[in-house]
Amino acid sequence: MADDSEWVLESIAGYLGSPEWVIPVTDFMENKCTVFDDEDENKLTYTEIHQQYKQLVENLLENYMQEVGINEQQFFEACSSPYAKSKALQGVFQPVLATDDFQMFRSLMVQKNVELQLQALRVIKERNGALPECLTDGTDVVSELEQQELRILQEVLKRSKEEYDLELARRVMLKEEQQELGSTSTGSSDGGPADAEQQVLPVKKQDGEACREHGVQKSQATVSPTAPAKMLPGQGGPSPKVLPAVRVPVKGVELPTPPPQVELKEKVGQQAAEAWLEEARREAGISKPFTELTVVQQDQLQQRAQYLRQQRDKLQALKKEQKPKTAAPEENPTGPSPAPSPPEVSVEERKRLQKRKHLAEKLKEEVIKK
Amino acid sequence: LGNGLFSVVERLKGATERELRIVLLGLDNAGKTTLLKKLASEDVRTITPTQGFNVKSVAASGMKLNVWDIGGQRKIRPFWKKYLENTDLLIYVIDSADKKRFEETGLELSELVAEEDLKGVPVLVFANKQDLAIASPASEIAEGLNLHTYRDRQWQIQACCALSGEGVQDGMSWICRNIANKKK
Repeated sequence: MADDSEWVLESIAGYLGSPEWVIPVTDFMENKCTVFDDEDENKLTYTEIHQQYKQLVENLLENYMQEVGINEQQFFEACSSPYAKSKALQGVFQPVLATDDFQMFRSLMVQKNVELQLQALRVIKERNGALPECLTDGTDVVSELEQQELRILQEVLKRSKEEYDLELARRVMLKEEQQELGSTSTGSSDGGPADAEQQVLPVKKQDGEACREHGVQKSQATVSPTAPAKMLPGQGGPSPKVLPAVRVPVKGVELPTPPPQVELKEKVGQQAAEAWLEEARREAGISKPFTELTVVQQDQLQQRAQYLRQQRDKLQALKKEQKPKTAAPEENPTGPSPAPSPPEVSVEERKRLQKRKHLAEKLKEEVIKK
Repeated sequence: LGNGLFSVVERLKGATERELRIVLLGLDNAGKTTLLKKLASEDVRTITPTQGFNVKSVAASGMKLNVWDIGGQRKIRPFWKKYLENTDLLIYVIDSADKKRFEETGLELSELVAEEDLKGVPVLVFANKQDLAIASPASEIAEGLNLHTYRDRQWQIQACCALSGEGVQDGMSWICRNIANKKK
């Protein structure tokens, strides 16, 4: 029966390369591999999955042998033949050997898991052009959520500021309209919220002064800083979500000045700013203790809070100051609103992404080597 | 194929080296994972309670020992049964200083040796944590476990300190002398 060994092995090796075998086995591995990580300790479920795998392989082999008429005895003998020990065949038979070798099975599953993850990363990248932030740094889910909350918080603060600015401009303008003298305008910048805030202040002040001193009729352009396009992971579909730019109201003498329509709008002006700030703080306190934020984040938050306070004071001062003095505003279409900056992938992010990719490749290599 | 697949795989692998399947059991905090890592010459300073299981292959006197360390917490113990099939040796680890749980650990061991899968399987008991002043001597523990009543299997009790490794090698030598040579 020595002649049998060769064709039996070749037949089975052929079967192990056929779709009848590959599809169900690959299906099984892809479905079950997600729990397999590269931690040193094994989860109890691994054993259960290994048992299921053993059952699947047994069933498939049994069916095939029945189909082609190989009996168990022939199979055993073939497996004992020197031919079965050849390197090439050992590779082909690896999925069968894995039924009895937990560590081999485990590394196959870990490898499959890494493959799927890389595939998913590729797909996301192809679709979006870049990976969302939550996938580029290797931090755990909790801190990602916290970061997301922080981003939302910043967004809320920014919007409340915009709302406040608009309201401020509107009030000033109303006064100006009544008194037909002087004007104010708020400048804007698309260089991010911090820049916008810092630039708004001096511009306004200068304008106010300039108007008062020279009595120049000045056009006014109230431009709200547009929300920079920013991806908020976890919101909506796979495409990066660009927040709608705040509408830029065109204001003139005759036009009534409706409160600007802003998302998340419940209150207007000063009260809104204060309420938002408080709410933001409260949220920050819940999601993450203030002291745990990075120095930069703390700074930003404090700057923002301080700025809002200043704004409020300035407004009150301005109101008092401007009562006697007036300036007639002139109708003027507002300047173009700054275009929303495209979703930016900073150099840093790109580096981080590459590091992660590199790590994944390395992990994959290691797994395969095993 | 039934149990046939197992023998097919055995043949496929080609018996280049003999393999032993060893399960390491015992109550939580007995020192099973420390013992396993000591056997594999790994760092034993940062070991946390095992929630699942650990497997390591250790080479010893020309053999490959596949050692399975399953967590010993009460909620995991029901899973022990699933790891007993085709076992060549049971290593049972006891915290010799945890007198309050001697009875509990004795009960667990007696349930284990009654398992069908462990019928006739030799038992090596490690009386661990002998470095602690309040540790009971191995002989006392053997008596408490009624090891002398075992008639259907080989058994041995070995005093040890898994943390320092003292006594561990003696236990392994016993395995090589008494189990490995008898396995065909």
